[in-house]
Amino acid sequence: MSERGFTIVEKILSRVCKQNVYASSLVFPEAELVTMHDWYAANAGAALEAFGVERMFDPSRVLISTDHEPLAVSPGAAIRQQQVRNFAKKYNVGHFHDVGRSGLGHVFPVEAGLVRPGMFIAGYDTHVTNFGAVGAYGVAVLTEVTELLALGSVWQTVPETVRIELTGRMQKGVSIRDVAQRLLFTLDPELVDDAVIEFGGAGTAGLGIDARYTLCNTPTEIGARSSIVEPDKIVTDYLAERCSEPVDLLKADTDARYRAVVTVDLSTCEPQVSLPPRPENVADVSTVAGREIDHAYIGSCASGMLTDLRVAAELLRGRQVNPRVRLFVTPVSQEVARAAAQEGLMEVFIKAGAIITQAGCGVCAGGRIGPVAPGEVSIGTGTRNDPGRLGAHDATLYLASPATVAASAITGKITDARFLSGLVR
Amino acid sequence: MEGRAFILGNDIANDGHLMALEFALSRESDPEILRHQIFKGLDEALADQLTPGDLIVTGRRFAQGNPHIQGFIGLQGARIGLLTESIPSSSYRLAINAGVPLLPSCPGLRAQTTQGDILRVDFETGSVLNVTSGEELNFAPIPVHARAIIMAGGWPPMFKARLKQQKQSRERNHSGQKV
Repeated sequence: MSERGFTIVEKILSRVCKQNVYASSLVFPEAELVTMHDWYAANAGAALEAFGVERMFDPSRVLISTDHEPLAVSPGAAIRQQQVRNFAKKYNVGHFHDVGRSGLGHVFPVEAGLVRPGMFIAGYDTHVTNFGAVGAYGVAVLTEVTELLALGSVWQTVPETVRIELTGRMQKGVSIRDVAQRLLFTLDPELVDDAVIEFGGAGTAGLGIDARYTLCNTPTEIGARSSIVEPDKIVTDYLAERCSEPVDLLKADTDARYRAVVTVDLSTCEPQVSLPPRPENVADVSTVAGREIDHAYIGSCASGMLTDLRVAAELLRGRQVNPRVRLFVTPVSQEVARAAAQEGLMEVFIKAGAIITQAGCGVCAGGRIGPVAPGEVSIGTGTRNDPGRLGAHDATLYLASPATVAASAITGKITDARFLSGLVR
Repeated sequence: MEGRAFILGNDIANDGHLMALEFALSRESDPEILRHQIFKGLDEALADQLTPGDLIVTGRRFAQGNPHIQGFIGLQGARIGLLTESIPSSSYRLAINAGVPLLPSCPGLRAQTTQGDILRVDFETGSVLNVTSGEELNFAPIPVHARAIIMAGGWPPMFKARLKQQKQSRERNHSGQKV
């Protein structure tokens, strides 16, 4: 193997593995944090018992969050929550965040200062990639999460990296969610498959942590293993009051080897909508504008952050949700809910006739909260729109930015928010 | 492995095509239940037509979308092999963990195979012999460590072996400390 520079993920895994490793090496890196949600924790507990595992490799590194179904409204859900509590207690889980405590497990660990740039985090959910917002490497471990809990690692090949250089600035009325959805359309899934997307370039300088969550959230939908925004002063400033550990801003080496380098000009993006049946089936909002909707939701690990709620509230202020539409709003975390209340955003949503739900994944988590009925049309800021994702199989599901969803909820049909805000006439 | 070829298209979805999402949400893991549910969203009758040894020959991005293992447990329960033009890595890993024999990169195979052809596949070498036409094609086999997981029957036996190894290592260390 020839010596060469490292990508960010190669640096992270080299540190964790205590040896220099490059793309395609087979490794067993020990996770520095293991995250898991309420819908799998009970299964993991049963699996550990079935395999005769009496203790986790290091329960102090394990985090469980009740975010997929935080408000139990059925006997089955109440029992599941009880199982999760029992599991966390039995295995002495270090970070158990029950309903009402913290919120969505792909975001609040960053708010709580548990995630730093350069950390290696593994978790049961594809959107553990959100931790790339602060320069950490989050990777999903699904079936083998029991092995991860028991032994601290599972086999991995060190991933190749696709570098995306962001340039320019977004136009007014266009958000990072539009850019993220557009990328699902423009990137070849086979180019990014199993790769880490490393975002860098001058365009990242204008992106706050909330925007970086969104950017790191979506590439997994077309097969990327993870995403990382090259950390910078924005990360340092964000973590300054949250994280007592030293913050090391890992950069890729200039001679790092990439599978591909792609340049994306943020200024060329228009508001986007994902059409059925998949997130990558993306088109300009104008192609579906006017389609009547019944159901709308703002939230999820992709777009339930304070910045997203601000954008939606700005449009909803002094307006009403269309009588034919029910609009659900879910803050991603308790901290976001508190801040939104303090800023008066919650009042705006309530006055507009929206339904505010408990912090967490909201409608996006399989439609257990606020599902769609057969034949209905929904537009939301969730992560996926596969048939059946929100309940009824024959419902029609669109995905879009918080602005597009809020504007559509107001008019009752898919709407380019720039018309409502006067940016476009 | 030898059996009939069943040809499918590109972009077969994991949720909805290969397996209904409900089985993922209910965490169903019984191969005997899931084997009867595979491909229901694509072709209601397909699961009943498949017999052990048959091979699914697919286009690009087989089982794209949210990676849930239930469809692969169903394929393993039905003793079906997979020959894909491409498969997202997350689904590739699920196939391995479920113990489904596969060749993940078979460009051109679908175009040269007719529905119902008898195929004989050597997953160790990557050779695919079309017994019906007499034509043989060769593709890259999956890496040795992944093949070992499939041959062991999927992830559970491999995990058990690693647990046992760890226990023995601890015991050795413990007895070493006593000395």
